[in-house]
Amino acid sequence: MKRYLGILVVALLCAAARTAQAEVNVFACEPEWAALAEEIGGEKVKTFSATHARQDPHHIRARPSLIAKVRRADLILCSGAGLEQGWLPLLVRKASAAVQPGTAGYLAAADIVPILEKPAVLDRSLGDIHPEGNPHVHLNPQNILVVARVLTKRLESIDSANAAFYRGRLKDFTGRWTEAMDDWKKKAPSLKGKTVVVHHRAFSYLLNWLDMKAVASLEPKPGIPPTTSHLEGLLQQLKARPADLIIRTPYEPDKASEWLSEKTTIPAVMLPYTIDGTAASGSLFALFDRSISILKGAIPSASK
Amino acid sequence: MLKSKQAVFAALIAMCFCAPVLEASDDDIKVLRAEILKLKETYEDRIAELESRLAEVEKAKSKDVASAPARPATAKRLVKDNSFNPSIGLILNGQYSQFSSDEGEIAGFAVGHEGERPGEGFAVDHTELNFTANVDDKFFGSTTAAIALHEGETEVELEEAYLQALPGLGLPDGMSVKAGRALWTLGYLNEHHSHTDDFADRPLPYRVFFNQAFNDDGAEVSYVLATDFYSEIGGGLFRGDDFPFGGAEGGGAGAWSAFARIGGDLGDNQSWRLGGYLMSGDVPGGRVSNEDELTFMGDVDLYLADVRYTWAPTGNARQQEVIFQSEYFWRNEDGSYEEDGGGAEGFDDSSSGWYAQAVYKFAPQWRVGLRTSQLQAAGVPAGLVGSGLDSSGHDPKALSLMLDWTNSEFSRVRLQYNREELAQGQDDDQIMLQYIMSLGAHGAHKY
Repeated sequence: MKRYLGILVVALLCAAARTAQAEVNVFACEPEWAALAEEIGGEKVKTFSATHARQDPHHIRARPSLIAKVRRADLILCSGAGLEQGWLPLLVRKASAAVQPGTAGYLAAADIVPILEKPAVLDRSLGDIHPEGNPHVHLNPQNILVVARVLTKRLESIDSANAAFYRGRLKDFTGRWTEAMDDWKKKAPSLKGKTVVVHHRAFSYLLNWLDMKAVASLEPKPGIPPTTSHLEGLLQQLKARPADLIIRTPYEPDKASEWLSEKTTIPAVMLPYTIDGTAASGSLFALFDRSISILKGAIPSASK
Repeated sequence: MLKSKQAVFAALIAMCFCAPVLEASDDDIKVLRAEILKLKETYEDRIAELESRLAEVEKAKSKDVASAPARPATAKRLVKDNSFNPSIGLILNGQYSQFSSDEGEIAGFAVGHEGERPGEGFAVDHTELNFTANVDDKFFGSTTAAIALHEGETEVELEEAYLQALPGLGLPDGMSVKAGRALWTLGYLNEHHSHTDDFADRPLPYRVFFNQAFNDDGAEVSYVLATDFYSEIGGGLFRGDDFPFGGAEGGGAGAWSAFARIGGDLGDNQSWRLGGYLMSGDVPGGRVSNEDELTFMGDVDLYLADVRYTWAPTGNARQQEVIFQSEYFWRNEDGSYEEDGGGAEGFDDSSSGWYAQAVYKFAPQWRVGLRTSQLQAAGVPAGLVGSGLDSSGHDPKALSLMLDWTNSEFSRVRLQYNREELAQGQDDDQIMLQYIMSLGAHGAHKY
């Protein structure tokens, strides 16, 4: 009897040890990073996204479930540049030493890619500005590739037993991504130089990559919801110099853009912004496919 | 040299074009060959010379780079001494209030001086100054000082001054240690600075059981368990000087606490948290009430439960959100109450209180809220009839309605109406207009 008990204990311990090292727990702040971690990590990682497409990543509560998830995380993967300033620092303080800023277990995309719109003047009368620059870096596919490379290195160091596996997945991903980028670039020239009105400066990286231009924001100042007087001003501006399109994210309300669209007859559309933001945007590839096809479809002079 | 070169080139070109017709003599060819050879040699010399000069320049350059760090490292730091300054935040908080009743006494509860309603008219409430920073790789430090006017004098209150262990200290994952003075983990609101509250004043239980907030000197350990849902346990040891305790004589801890919390999500857009708390301590030196007329000595046990639930109907809490929150307090006091000028009267009884509130954000900048609070005082011993502990059978209650406008993360203006029935025949209609402004560093908010 004693012997059987011993075997049972050993078996249980083995099982516990196995489950403990089975997967790398990746805590992604936004869905796009969870998707990237899955591309590189495959079945060797278990990803969790703290937000979904209908949530504004600036305004998330450090809710209990996030504390539980971050507590067990082996890698935190976020946009950075202050996007998660209102909630991530609290969570990170509850997390392990291995995922603190400055360690291999903490990766902020904005720290490793070129940053746009870094403000020259810091004053809160200019709105809720990020001193670090625009944090919505994932909408330039080149940035995705940069983050993928660094992410692979981090996964290799956290889970060295599967280093070759991650490298293989990166190689495969890089091949497919480069091909996709060529394809997008081939489709994109007709979008070049087109002008858009954005709700918040959430699309700067996409517009920059596609050589498009944001001429106005529905928000009077970053982080301040659209006001009637600001929209009236925009209406006058657009009457004088029309833009090609009004775009918004799935988490921004449609009221302001629909109003402006009606008054100016400039079409207003919702872009996916992140994974599952709209229909047919369930992967990183689909996210860009869909964004470009929506842009081309909505701008008559670009839809050839 | 130049001339001879031109001549040779001219000759070569002429040769190319005229070769078929030109019948050059052997001597001419020899001369030409010699010329070319000479030219080649000259050029090779010059190239070698240029190459050596280039190598020298490159060598000098690399030497420069190598010697660069030899410059004193402090040269630049003199002007950058403030780059390690802690994050500084300032909260401006003021209000205008009008009450219909002259009295604001809470029947049956001998409250501390902060538990009473604030002054009428224009008043700058607590102005909070907060400094936070990582001390080093192992500790995080934070201080919050509140500048407040009390009975005509400006006081600086040390609300918080604590250190917290960082993961670098090597504690087990999920464990956290905090020491100093802090807004300790008790119920929902106690941990939060009052500027983050959803109403202009704290609910009744906080006013009578905590004198607004419990921030004694002490230490607290907490541990987030490695479960799939959120679960945390912890406890603390305190000096026992802050309300509901008081008169700590030092030597040992006057009070202790223990708590457990669980929480999680319901689907994508709802989350909840539930907590149970226990705090116990003694009041050896006496705890004096608001108007210095009653002194308590003895043991205090306090039990608390809290629940909070948030729901974002559209998924995006920025647009619309519903928050529900409730806390229940139960306190037992075992000792004696002494009335000013009277004798000590034995006391062993319990009192309780609760509040529940719902806040609805209906537009990104606008919220409405409803709160109801109620208290139940302890029975009064014969010798204390007519004192501040005598509730005359009245259960204090209050109803609050609020509307607030949040321009940005950093500014909020709030209008609140209170209907307070805190003592027999003391119905009080209150209007409060409050502003909260946050300057500088703005830390993340707790759930």
